[in-house]
Amino acid sequence: MTTSAIALADATAARSKPKSLATLVGRYVGLLLLACAPLGVMWNDPYWVNILAYAYLFGALACAWNIIGGLGGQFSLGHGVFFAIGAYSVARLYLDLGLTPWLAVFPAAALATLVAVLISWPTFRLRGPFFAIATMAINEACFALANYTDRLTGGPRGILIPFRAGFWNMIFIERWKYALLNFGFMSIVVLITVFLRRARLGHYLLAVREDEDAARSAGIDVLKVKLLGMALSAALTGIGGGIFAMYVRVLDPPTLFTLADIGVKFALISLIGGIGTIMGPVVGALLIVPIENFLRGALGGAIPGGHLIVLGIILVCASLFLKRGIVGAFVGAVHRIRNRKRS
Amino acid sequence: MTGEPFLSVENAVRRFEGLVAVDTVSFGIERGEILSMIGPNGAGKTTMFNLITGQLSLSDGAIVFCGEQIAKLPPQVRAQRGMGRTFQIAKPFIGLTTRENVMVGTFLRHHRYADAYDRASLVLEEVGLEARAEVPAGQLTLSERRRLEIARALALSPELILLDEVMAGLNATEVTEVIELIQRLNGRGMTFLVIEHNLKVVRAVSRRVIVLDHGVKIAEGTASDVLSDPMVVKAYLGKRAG
Repeated sequence: MTTSAIALADATAARSKPKSLATLVGRYVGLLLLACAPLGVMWNDPYWVNILAYAYLFGALACAWNIIGGLGGQFSLGHGVFFAIGAYSVARLYLDLGLTPWLAVFPAAALATLVAVLISWPTFRLRGPFFAIATMAINEACFALANYTDRLTGGPRGILIPFRAGFWNMIFIERWKYALLNFGFMSIVVLITVFLRRARLGHYLLAVREDEDAARSAGIDVLKVKLLGMALSAALTGIGGGIFAMYVRVLDPPTLFTLADIGVKFALISLIGGIGTIMGPVVGALLIVPIENFLRGALGGAIPGGHLIVLGIILVCASLFLKRGIVGAFVGAVHRIRNRKRS
Repeated sequence: MTGEPFLSVENAVRRFEGLVAVDTVSFGIERGEILSMIGPNGAGKTTMFNLITGQLSLSDGAIVFCGEQIAKLPPQVRAQRGMGRTFQIAKPFIGLTTRENVMVGTFLRHHRYADAYDRASLVLEEVGLEARAEVPAGQLTLSERRRLEIARALALSPELILLDEVMAGLNATEVTEVIELIQRLNGRGMTFLVIEHNLKVVRAVSRRVIVLDHGVKIAEGTASDVLSDPMVVKAYLGKRAG
């Protein structure tokens, strides 16, 4: 096949140049350092370090969800499955084969990716809310399944990973090391998203989110693009699950599959922070995780589940008044101010 | 080349639950020409378009593009083979900037970011949207959206561009601008299939015209011959034009 490359305008004329990748990475490294600042201040306060460790990990997981949920527009509520696969795989490889979690996260990610592709192949035929409901149903089915597969998951009693501190065990006496590890993982996921957002696949995911028919007319294989986005998202979610396993060291099905705590939480954090934006999930996690912790402490005794009611109200308000999340609203405000200065 | 047409539609049929939207239509397009397809509302023009680009599948018949049978290929593969199209109802990716909209297209042939970016600059300049490159596509005016549709088709470096009523809703100046754009691209060898209601436009851009009515091709020929054919006048223009 010959491709007509009919000449367009004068190719040698001076034109705007794209922002260099180095500038872009520099900007996000700066923002990440800002996100790390609280740890620098409170590294010796175990209460806050624990909260930060969770915030960074869930920031990373929401960021991984955002790849397919935000950029690709496929609102998965089943990411708890990939998270649990990562957690169980790392625990089993560590306990049964003595493999260091630093390496065990890779086969865990591969297994999560494989399952993600198998689940997504049929469900990606569904659009919008039907896809969300199907993925949620798969999460619940796996929840039930995990209770029966005793030999793999320990069933309802779960898996207990004994406390043996050591770098290669990914188990630390000092809590701030966990927070730093989770922060490092979050930074990697953010930078992957930065690269992706500029790459061909990132543009294709956005096109698929916006309009599948128009995407096809641009030569995009919609199913393939969705599967690639899902595979990347699930792999990172699996790694996050593995890191989570070595942090909590007690894995039972409710801890890994409860929708309100895992599958829906990733989406909720992204929604509040700014779905489809790069830093949105990070901002969302740094906000939601401390608030949830506070609410659990303040309301947990008096009204069981009360923190979920308040979180629900926050979500409703965010979806009413902050449609593009905190980061989206912030970027919009910056644009408005710039435009006003210009005119 | 043996003079065989660049695109040839052979006895194309498309049925929708008993309704025959396109009924045994055949025509060809030669490389480098602009062919207009006209006809009253509901004549099957957009259906014919969707059959060519693959959004709809043929009930019967064949479509050959550059010597290849394409009737069974999905739309994205036809786009990869060199077909760019616009939609009657413009479908910009409203969450993306104008440039990103075009880059989704230029990434097809240019896999590196910088190359896709530079190619998008050329395309935007060609359609006169370079000043609007960094604006979210949702903020473009109607006329800008139409030009963005053409830009997105052009971004694929296609062999053939199918334009579905890109002039609808534009004022006289804007129509002239788009006519000039089509003529300029055609002058450099781009082939077009155009659905158009505005007969002034049809006369201006196309040498050859085909007319559909109730899914049947009722006339084919030069613009001036076809537009004075009594059957066409009756079907397409109604009594007023008599």
